Amino acid sequence: MAGRGTIQLRSGEDIILRVENLVQEFPVGRDRVVHAVSDVSFDLRKGETLGIVGESGCGKSTTARAIVQLPPPTSGRVVLDPSSENEIDLTRLSGHDLRNARPRLQMIFQDPISSLNPRRRVKDIVSEGLEIWSDGDIGTEGRERVEEVLHAVGIDPVVAASHRPHQFSGGQCQRISIARALTVNPEILICDEPVSALDVSVQAKILNLLEDMKARYELSLVFISHDLSVVRNVSDRVVVMYLGKICEVGGADRLYDAPAHPYTRALLASAPEPAQSVGVADAVLGDDLPSPTDPPSGCRFRTRCPLAIDRCATEEPLMQEIDEDHFVACHLPST
Amino acid sequence: MTGRQAPLLSVRDLKVVFPTPIGMVHAVDGVSFDLEAGQSMGIVGESGSGKTVTAKTLMNLLPSYALVDGSVNFDGRDLRALAAERKTEKHLWGVEISMVFQDPMTSLNPVKKVGEQIAESVRYHLGQTRTAARRQAGDLLEQVGIPEPGRRLDEYPHQLSGGLRQRVVIAAALACEPRILIADEPTTSLDVTVQKHILDLLDDLRTARGMAMILVTHDLGVVKGRTDEVMVMYAGRTMEEASTEAVFSQQGHPYTEALIETIPKINSASHTRLVPIPGQPPVTTSPPTGCPFADRCRYATDLCVAQGPPLTALGNGHHVACHTPVRTPAAETALAANAARGHTATGLEIHQSGVPIGAVTGGLGEQT
Repeated sequence: MAGRGTIQLRSGEDIILRVENLVQEFPVGRDRVVHAVSDVSFDLRKGETLGIVGESGCGKSTTARAIVQLPPPTSGRVVLDPSSENEIDLTRLSGHDLRNARPRLQMIFQDPISSLNPRRRVKDIVSEGLEIWSDGDIGTEGRERVEEVLHAVGIDPVVAASHRPHQFSGGQCQRISIARALTVNPEILICDEPVSALDVSVQAKILNLLEDMKARYELSLVFISHDLSVVRNVSDRVVVMYLGKICEVGGADRLYDAPAHPYTRALLASAPEPAQSVGVADAVLGDDLPSPTDPPSGCRFRTRCPLAIDRCATEEPLMQEIDEDHFVACHLPST
Repeated sequence: MTGRQAPLLSVRDLKVVFPTPIGMVHAVDGVSFDLEAGQSMGIVGESGSGKTVTAKTLMNLLPSYALVDGSVNFDGRDLRALAAERKTEKHLWGVEISMVFQDPMTSLNPVKKVGEQIAESVRYHLGQTRTAARRQAGDLLEQVGIPEPGRRLDEYPHQLSGGLRQRVVIAAALACEPRILIADEPTTSLDVTVQKHILDLLDDLRTARGMAMILVTHDLGVVKGRTDEVMVMYAGRTMEEASTEAVFSQQGHPYTEALIETIPKINSASHTRLVPIPGQPPVTTSPPTGCPFADRCRYATDLCVAQGPPLTALGNGHHVACHTPVRTPAAETALAANAARGHTATGLEIHQSGVPIGAVTGGLGEQT
């Protein structure tokens, strides 16, 4: 959406995570509020990679953090196993119960060097998650798990035992971050711009590694990036966000081959190597994102939209299905 | 390198060495190129390839402890000799050669109004009055596409978005009508939509003013279809230099080939397996005697290890520093021989098909 609605949510046994009507607002003084994420809904199927793409300030990182309750969202639900009887709504949990649910979701951050404690040895960093869950001593089984995960991401456990993060390159540090996330045996891995700080030759290795780890440990991924090519490469399904709202949701190939929302089209046409499905005429965005403290009425994209009509200012578009598993929130979608 | 008349800028065998606690870092290791008036050139490379150090050498921005060798000639003047004298040529850098940096937040002064920051260089270098400089600053803001330039003159950098800030930096760099504009990763910190605007703007300004431009970037996509020529750098050396079109359609260096292969493509189906470049760049404190890319190259032969290939002409201004340029019989022979014995001259294991094994297994045991 740059609009509302939950029609894009799927049903089925294998939905592992469902985010419903997520709202995240931050007060910034004088009764002003930053509307970082406004009424966003999506779900994640087991074994699927969901890509979230958008410009800076669109709320993609805030969404990722709200899923892991860092901080908990202003309103909305974040539900694990929504179709089972013992579904868990993370937003209703606190204290001990929330801690118990946390190992199921792990996160990888953009800057691999600053996300590792420079004063600790790499193996201690990777073991820490398990230590928390076993009162200090992770036991033989835990040590084996750490070695196995380190080996899987391509870091020598012997080197990891004696070295600190600064002795590794950026790509290796990102491997360590991935190992740290995997030791507690998560079901969902949330990757927030995991390759944006890496050189292109390293980027390909980390993306391939994520695909391998996803298969090996049966993970489901939420993958956030501003890089359209990277998102298409890793994702099964893609969510396009703009100023705290969802514009378009669909299967990765379908969405890139037949983008329907004018914002998606503009993004794809602005890429250094534009997508074949759009023309130069689609790259029409001006520079400026409106302020999230005072978002435009109606469709939030209308101030930069080439197609905007009066209706867009007064009525927020509802999410509609325009093709099988392809949803768009726009009064004038291209078909 | 078209050598008709004297080029505007001519760099010959440039070497830059930084003494550091871990040894001498050879940041730039023998780079040569020419730039004609009005021409645009891209310098592409990964971190540590020496692209930014090359740009900074041209701008005379290297720290004093850097050891520089080679010649840099700008319009008949020896820039390195001028740099040594300093005082006499204060109206060269920032006037005739000027630079745009990556991060517009740190390259602007946060406590000075943007109008003053642009007017400053006009007043200092061209000796204009305060009012004339302010008027010119307003004109420049308009030229770089900033709406309401009159109002923006009195704003501070934090009041502008990232894209507008970069436009201000460009306006300041253009203030004294430079003949060469060096843009070092001008769009790396910006969103794709803004990136396109800034690159288009630089293109338009270059054409309108007949200015030459050097675009330094890690992203091949940024130079594609934009610059006249591209120079690909790796480990401080020039690997390939050619027209931009040739770099993408008939690249001669295995490194360029690998770099293009490894990038996810927006038009490829999802879950297309990426082809990483195996291994890692050489340590710049001890540059190899042979080709710096040999360790990671599937074509590597004994000659590549023993002897660094010189930059040789392939015709049509296409230069490649490789003993076995891609798509030549030499490359096919080398690849067939390497595939037959299962590894290259440097011990890189490769499949029968000629694909490095590290590239296929990706994660396991492979170090980045």
